[in-house]
Amino acid sequence: MRTLLVRVAAGLTLALISPLVLANGWNMPIGVTALSREIHSLHMTIFWICVAIGVVVFGVMFYSLFRYRRSKGAEAANFHEHTGVEVLWTAVPLLILVAMAVPATATLKNMYDVSDAEIDVMVTGQQWRWRYEYLGEDIAFTSNMSTPREQISGEAEKTENYLLEVDEPLVLPVDTKVRLLLTADDVIHSWWVPELAVKQDAIPGFVNENWVRIEEPGIYRGQCTELCGMDHGFMPVVVEALEKDEYEAWLAERKEAAEQEAMGVDREWELAELMERGEQVYGSICASCHQADGSGSPPAFPALAGNTDMLDDVEWHIDTIINGVSGSAMPAFRSTLNPVEIAAVATYERNAWGNDAGDTVQPSEIVELLEE
Amino acid sequence: MWSVIKSVLAAFFGVQRDQQRREDFEHGKPVSFIIVGIAMAMLLVALVALIATLAAG
Ligand SMILES: [Cu+2]
Repeated sequence: MRTLLVRVAAGLTLALISPLVLANGWNMPIGVTALSREIHSLHMTIFWICVAIGVVVFGVMFYSLFRYRRSKGAEAANFHEHTGVEVLWTAVPLLILVAMAVPATATLKNMYDVSDAEIDVMVTGQQWRWRYEYLGEDIAFTSNMSTPREQISGEAEKTENYLLEVDEPLVLPVDTKVRLLLTADDVIHSWWVPELAVKQDAIPGFVNENWVRIEEPGIYRGQCTELCGMDHGFMPVVVEALEKDEYEAWLAERKEAAEQEAMGVDREWELAELMERGEQVYGSICASCHQADGSGSPPAFPALAGNTDMLDDVEWHIDTIINGVSGSAMPAFRSTLNPVEIAAVATYERNAWGNDAGDTVQPSEIVELLEE
Repeated sequence: MWSVIKSVLAAFFGVQRDQQRREDFEHGKPVSFIIVGIAMAMLLVALVALIATLAAG
């Protein structure tokens, strides 16, 4: 009888635990950095300690319940205290906690050691996108979710990386220590990539630090993990790790594109060019609130199609984009968008969806406004 | 005095013998436990801070 019980208990325990250990996706990922492996092994060590404690505690409890049951004539003991036992059951957990705290503290110290980083990237959370700025490289861009709205509303088939894909990922080289400086513009966000073992709050007014040293090229996906408003679920994180030489090539390409854009500021733009560019910017930045067809979601997000306040007063329109509207959900885009993008999106909003202002907003005008 | 310290230490640890507890309630004054308790709490904080500094250093 007793061997049968032991077997049943052991079988049940294994059945409960094995999927946790074996099944991919249920457990914490091992990840692709030395630190993520360290965190994973720490997690497994503590997990097994907890399993052992659980087996012992519940084993003793169930054994006692069964062995000393009333139908077999067991009688309750009636003593008040036992200092020896009480000291023992206080001291043993204390020792176990200290034994777990020693490796945990060592790992924590390692996580906070951002010294000797070769690349610094500023990560800024915004409602509802991430902005990456390569410090000292003059490269900055926003990373917007690229999952089509039709997939979210169920009008189209959901694809493999549903809600986990962006227009421009954070590109990093492998085998290089990268320091991440995390902050936010509006509310608290959190930058999380499980495979990199980074989950760090991005808080307005604070700069938190973390670091990664990715060992395998690849694409690693994560999400914002601090409830940050309406589109909290729609601001994924995608990190693309490249070989060092590929990263250098990417960097050079980005710099050239930034230079071209800077040159574009001085010249006169055609309406059609601005409309084309503006449609892209609108789709990735504005459409989540004001809708792709400009209909908005009044009263929080006013309609832009047929909006006479906006069409009759171009200065107010541009000022709203650059500086936002305080006390409303409209953020300031002066640091998120460059002058060409601001001019293009303003022109687009004035001439799309039946709006027929017919005027263009030139990038050079925006440059002047930004310098004021 | 020694018996007060011993009782405060037992309280820190969370385990007290029944016999000691009875004696405390018969002979002890509350104010002495409060003063010794506060002093030893400060001592504990200082000790933990010292250990943390040593470990970090
Ligand atoms: Cu967020």
